[in-house]
Amino acid sequence: MKHSILLAALLAIAGCSSMGVEAWDRDILAKDEMQLTSDPVEAALDDHIYFSKEASSGGRGFGGGGCGCN
Amino acid sequence: MPGQRPERTVEIAKGTDCWRGTFFAMGSPCELLCEAGNERDAKVLTAIAADQAWRIEDKFSRYRSGNIVDRINTAAGAAVEVDAETARLIEFATQLHTLSDGRFDITSGVLRQAWTFDGGDRVPAASVVSAVLQHVGWHRVDWSGTSITMPAGMEIDFGGVGKEYAVDRVAGLLRDHSGIACMANFGGDLAVTLPPVRREAWQIGIESLQGESARPERVINLKTGALATSGDAQRYLKKDGVRYGHIIDPTTGWPVKDAPRSITVAADTCVQAGMLSTLAMLEGAGAEEFLSAQGTEFWCLREP
Amino acid sequence: MVAAVLAAAAVAATSLVMSDKKMRKKNSKQISATLATATCALLGGTMPSPVQAQEEPGWDFNTALLYYGEDEDRVQDLSLNILATRTFDDDRSLTLGLTVDGLTGATPNGAIRQNVPQTFTQPSGKGTFTTPAGELPIDDTFRDTRVALTASWQQPLGRLYKLSFGGSASKEFDYLHLGVNAKLARDFNNRNTTVSAGLAFSHDEIDPIGGIPQPLTPMLDVGDLSNRGGTDTKDIIDFVFGVTQVVSRSLLFQVNYSFSDSSGYLADPYRIISVVDGVTGDTIPRPVPLPPGADGPSHVFAFESRPDSRTKHSLYGQAKYYMNGKVLDASYRYMTDDWEIDSHTVDLRYRWPIGGSSYLEPHLRFYTQTAAEFYTPSLVAGAALPAYASFDYRLGDFDATTAGIKYGWKTRRGSDMSVRVELYQQRGDIPAGDLIGNQVGLVRYPDLDAVIVQYSYHFGK
Repeated sequence: MKHSILLAALLAIAGCSSMGVEAWDRDILAKDEMQLTSDPVEAALDDHIYFSKEASSGGRGFGGGGCGCN
Repeated sequence: MPGQRPERTVEIAKGTDCWRGTFFAMGSPCELLCEAGNERDAKVLTAIAADQAWRIEDKFSRYRSGNIVDRINTAAGAAVEVDAETARLIEFATQLHTLSDGRFDITSGVLRQAWTFDGGDRVPAASVVSAVLQHVGWHRVDWSGTSITMPAGMEIDFGGVGKEYAVDRVAGLLRDHSGIACMANFGGDLAVTLPPVRREAWQIGIESLQGESARPERVINLKTGALATSGDAQRYLKKDGVRYGHIIDPTTGWPVKDAPRSITVAADTCVQAGMLSTLAMLEGAGAEEFLSAQGTEFWCLREP
Repeated sequence: MVAAVLAAAAVAATSLVMSDKKMRKKNSKQISATLATATCALLGGTMPSPVQAQEEPGWDFNTALLYYGEDEDRVQDLSLNILATRTFDDDRSLTLGLTVDGLTGATPNGAIRQNVPQTFTQPSGKGTFTTPAGELPIDDTFRDTRVALTASWQQPLGRLYKLSFGGSASKEFDYLHLGVNAKLARDFNNRNTTVSAGLAFSHDEIDPIGGIPQPLTPMLDVGDLSNRGGTDTKDIIDFVFGVTQVVSRSLLFQVNYSFSDSSGYLADPYRIISVVDGVTGDTIPRPVPLPPGADGPSHVFAFESRPDSRTKHSLYGQAKYYMNGKVLDASYRYMTDDWEIDSHTVDLRYRWPIGGSSYLEPHLRFYTQTAAEFYTPSLVAGAALPAYASFDYRLGDFDATTAGIKYGWKTRRGSDMSVRVELYQQRGDIPAGDLIGNQVGLVRYPDLDAVIVQYSYHFGK
């Protein structure tokens, strides 16, 4: 399953070559609120809460954790 | 653009620790930030700035019929006497033409007839370009110091220096008028009248765009002086993988290859900053080297 | 305080290169002097003062104060967080983070509810606490503050690569964490596609009060730590592979695959599991009466046991869509591991601008997970011991919902502040087949209700 996911991702990159915008059309994408992690502190806090209360962690970045709460 | 006249109104708003007057002139949104004590003073200062900007626009825009530029461009070979201010601009253009080895040329505007910068790949035929090039060249113009005689078919255009000149004029007027620290910003070309009192410096942000997240915003602390930016935004052509910026080299009739996407220069006056950024653009790949040699502070943005 | 933004081509730029100011004489004429003279003639009058322009070094501070509180005397946490980023020339940056949080309150200790009072030895082994009849046993183990530090460095490598690496460390009285991480990203397709791969290593040390208990051995009387002792470690390796793609001017998405492998001591040293009668399901009372003057548990409880390794795979996708000033953020994550836990997470945020400088952002999160293979409410006395057993509610079968709203605004000085309030609830199920006798109806998943309140202040530059 891991291999098929990797392959799907690589195919996605190949297919993605036609998508996108030119550099000067990045005005909206440059806004704070359009960043994938627009608030890193809040994201880290949420990750920590859910890591302590649930059995899953991470996804967006690394696994989080590193505390005695689980 | 000709035909669409935006309204000549002025708006005042109170900012963090200064007043902000806004208006539209010379095809750009313009603002004046001033550390006025009250709204009335802010209004007076903004009115001075706006009136000066509109005066210069009316006098030197090539889109106005009947002004000095129009009269020169429709003289069809006859000599035209010009006033002192126009004479100074023409004199400046002459000196810059020599200084730049012909790359700065106020008669080069007609080249836009040959080129359409719309992101496409329609490059004109060499014959078309050389035909238009017959009407380009400051050396063809007879400038006596008070009167200008241009062959028919040629045109002058102060667009390359007009906005920067207006900014410096406005800064000078405001400096003479009061001791209030102001910053005039006409669509990215800006100058400071005096260093601000209520803060360390005027802060100007340059946004830089990266592919993904993490967009560092560079902030420049400007205490005195001016900034000007040359850039090509949407105006370019791409053919056979080669990108042609919209700045045309008047000596060849062709756009500059490998020009940076935009250049911001800091200098004592907006005119100097603007000239340096334009000349650097014309250096194409050598833009950074050129600016380094001048010893100015600059920021160059290139296509990845 | 940004007074003005360069409106023109600065926005159109794609990368920023700061030059060095060495004088390079070859090929470039020095024209500034002549230019200055020409300008002076043009402008007439006195020339203004020489320019003084300096780039701001760029410190950015992101701070937050968070309160998390569960109902019914359970956990409460107050934390202070600071993230400071310093940007240097050429898009290099250093980020330092500090978190200090204080935890109080109690958490379910894994024992099941009974219709009689139950007494437990404290984890320290120095005393006992009693849970009244009919109540969920919760352990008020002393928890003190945790301090966590992170540091990371990010820089471009050449034109298209970006490298970041960092470390993290955290300390609480019974736990130490040390970690390092690195990530490399490369842009493709005119910077519309970014592919990244990251690796992280963690080494944690668990030093519980009273010492690490031997798994599945009974909870002993006060003062008896014979089945406890020492410390243990946990090592985790994480790998993330991600693709970010810009679709249009207002839409982008990312897909990440993560792999995580933990090994070492993965159990909770303070969690127990009730030992019950195979027919009635009632917890077995202590077999040997307490000697006079002694104190200890009222019933038989065993320390939990978990495997010493866990492998997780996650697939995560997130999209951000801009519509006329509003931003929709939607993400989904699927996680599966070799403890037979599967989870799905859907997270939705909708940011709604109000006026020029504030916004409202409602938030909804749905989470569901299946129980670990060794999750069980109790152990049957006399039966063969399973290899692993835990009744930690966090490994159970439950759904969790978060609903919240955030209000943000720009201050007069141009900084960002926000307040958010969220409600988090967990509702779980214990399959009837796992319950024995009287446990049915009495033993329920310890549903959780919590409130999250956070205040943020983002300033700098």
